[in-house]
Amino acid sequence: MEKNMLHENSRENMSGNSLVLPIVLWGRHAPTHCISSLLVMDDLATIITGCHDGQICLWDMTADLEFYQFTIGTQREGRLLCNGHYPEILVVDATSLEVLYSLVSKISPDWISSMSIIRSHRTQEPVFEEESKPIYCQGCQTISFCTFTQLSLLVVCSKYWRVFDAGDYSLLCSVPSENDQAWTGGDFIAADKVIIWTEDGCSYIYKLPATCLPASEHFRTDVGKTAESSVPPLVYSIADRADKQIEEDSEGADTVCVWPERYPDHENAPELLFLHRPLEAPLLICPPVTRFFYGRREPFHKLLVQGDSGGRLSLWSIPDTSPLQPLSSTAELQVSSTVSLQEAFDKLTPLPAGIIDQLSVIPGSEEPIKVTASVYIPSQGRLVCGREDGSIVLVPATQTAIVQLLQGEHMLRRGWPPHRTLRGHRNKVTCLLYPHQVSPRYDQRSLVSGGVDFSVIVWDIFTGEMKHIFCVHGGEITQLLVPPENCSTRVQHCVCSVASDHSVGLLSLRERKCIMLASRHLFPIQVIKWRPCDDYLVILHGSMETHGKGFSGLGLCSPSCFSGF
Amino acid sequence: MSAASQAERAVLEEEFKWLLKEEVHAVLKQLKDILKEASRRFSMPAAGVESQLKQENFILGSSTMDQVKGVLTLQGEALTQADINLKIAKSNQVMHFAFRDDKQWKMQQIQDARNHVNQALQLLNSRDETYHFKTGAEVNKLMDAVMMQLTRARNRLTTPASMTLPELASSGLIKMFAPPMPGDLMVNFYINLSKLCLTVYQLHVLQPSTTKNFKPAGSSVLHNPGAMFEVNNTKFEVSHVHKVECVVPWLNDTLVFFTISLQLCQQLKDKISVFSSYWNYGPF
Repeated sequence: MEKNMLHENSRENMSGNSLVLPIVLWGRHAPTHCISSLLVMDDLATIITGCHDGQICLWDMTADLEFYQFTIGTQREGRLLCNGHYPEILVVDATSLEVLYSLVSKISPDWISSMSIIRSHRTQEPVFEEESKPIYCQGCQTISFCTFTQLSLLVVCSKYWRVFDAGDYSLLCSVPSENDQAWTGGDFIAADKVIIWTEDGCSYIYKLPATCLPASEHFRTDVGKTAESSVPPLVYSIADRADKQIEEDSEGADTVCVWPERYPDHENAPELLFLHRPLEAPLLICPPVTRFFYGRREPFHKLLVQGDSGGRLSLWSIPDTSPLQPLSSTAELQVSSTVSLQEAFDKLTPLPAGIIDQLSVIPGSEEPIKVTASVYIPSQGRLVCGREDGSIVLVPATQTAIVQLLQGEHMLRRGWPPHRTLRGHRNKVTCLLYPHQVSPRYDQRSLVSGGVDFSVIVWDIFTGEMKHIFCVHGGEITQLLVPPENCSTRVQHCVCSVASDHSVGLLSLRERKCIMLASRHLFPIQVIKWRPCDDYLVILHGSMETHGKGFSGLGLCSPSCFSGF
Repeated sequence: MSAASQAERAVLEEEFKWLLKEEVHAVLKQLKDILKEASRRFSMPAAGVESQLKQENFILGSSTMDQVKGVLTLQGEALTQADINLKIAKSNQVMHFAFRDDKQWKMQQIQDARNHVNQALQLLNSRDETYHFKTGAEVNKLMDAVMMQLTRARNRLTTPASMTLPELASSGLIKMFAPPMPGDLMVNFYINLSKLCLTVYQLHVLQPSTTKNFKPAGSSVLHNPGAMFEVNNTKFEVSHVHKVECVVPWLNDTLVFFTISLQLCQQLKDKISVFSSYWNYGPF
């Protein structure tokens, strides 16, 4: 599979001169892609994944497997059904994004946790129903309507999955989860088979008992009988365990789970990587997203797709026939194909380059020194890059980009492009600020940097000299800000620094001293607002959501209250 | 790397392992206990059981003015009764309204806050003592998710919905009363922090011949006298606004629980970041 980053597609949409095409130099490490949603398209044989970081990735499928979109919604009129932290389902026009109406339960309306669309043969219009029946399913994750029989409903909750008669919602069978695994979803894959997947990414295909099958003479014979029936036979399992386990369920059927060889490079397998880098190892920290897709047109492929927080996409082709093994043991379904974003990056030649890779070579290492902060100064045509070793590199922006994007004789020149390296920070540079760019009131020679060494350094950008070091914070510098125009004169020559010990400082570039330090906040600083007329600085902290009005604490500081440090 | 810093690194690794193995679970247990207390305040009934939710009466009034007095009965997340006495300005006539027998008004803010607490507890319960945290990032992710739910729960109580006056008019609340409320009165209930608030708006119709410049008011939690709006081709202006409130002690408790829980989460994140900042110090 290949990968296309979304921004490349914007070339087709070019209209007018005002469009700015972003060009990204990713470097050899793929960005994190903690997959949170999946969609299989039917036209281009493409899978789209969305992630928690806000990016969308398009994956091209190989030619031998064609997939079709499982359409959701009233296709012709184009409706979007939305549910969330509110007690109704909003029906939105897909073109205008206008909320057309909402569906609310008449009895104890509350947040909707899952919904499923049942298509009627008789009418395309929505049918409004006043009656409801409580089915007492706690922790409901998904609801699926059986499109094969049109007569049953699968409800997957974290502790069990249940099949209901879709006509009167009587319970047909109930299967608990095993070994503390939580179910997170499932679907019908045939009239008599369901696939249920867990939070860990394992999936199990069960054959439904006769009491659940409308075609069987035993249909509904268990209705009204006490709760949980025996576990239906397991047809296939798709496991993700690091070790071989043999488990026996109550029926005595053996389930063999084997770790599929998904990670060709075993040292980088998440389980082992954490031993080397416990804090950064890309372990599966978010539960993977699993979806079942059934092509509605030839060749009717049944596909299980899973995306995980390591940026990996895996596909299993679900066979229509049962395995040839005797029913007393369960077969393991092998993955049809799998790829991760990093693997796609690794396959490229040449490797994707970072902006100043050629200046960041570490002798004896394949990896260049990482760029950890940057600021672009268009007025000087310069790019300033702070690196993980504490150095700051000043390069001419365009020439540097040309080196990575175009071939030419400049590639042969050593030390190209001409650059200057500033050394002063011990270890990673976290912030860079060129105050003159934000407001011309600042000296255009000043460049300010902050690092994990708790210090803020002021440089002369033309001579490369270190002008001053501020060591007032007790934590890594997280932000460098410029106060607004109409502050008092003293504050106008300051920059504001925020550190990871939740402290805020006002550092005067002119006086070369810290004129205010506000510390001892319990929560990380989120936003700093200014009240220049009263010479006040308002610090908002505590809330994860800065767009809301909620904040746990408020700090009002006046620079005039503090004498110099 | 020098021998001293290698020894230091080894000690830090041991400390970090202790943090992940022992300390994280201790904090999670504390959080679970606090949030269980918080959820008990919301008196969540078990699914499908008509359990007896505690009914509490609150007397809403003002010490300075007595135009509006209300006795509201709160049962869980619903107002089951609202007994309002209103002294109309300019006359000494006292009007009395109460919910019709079959009617309840759901306080969406309370339901949302309860659901967020539920979700936070579910997140915490998904990782019990036997779960082995392998990375600091995993713990941070869990703490971020829990903190988001708690912040949202708190925001639901501290930030009542802003509504426009036409939205208030069509909210259906006015139709819940017996005797029916006249067309020149509107009421609204909401939670603000730990207080249950009742606002009463007295309106007068703006005649078409009026010289006043009609400017419809926007959304607000509390509208002021002079605010104008139009509904069903009739223009109205707010002539008087009365607001009375009463502290709901258990809401106050839950707000305190939210703050304590958020602090616990943040402190755990800070402890983890001590190690990550050390790890940021590469061999340079």
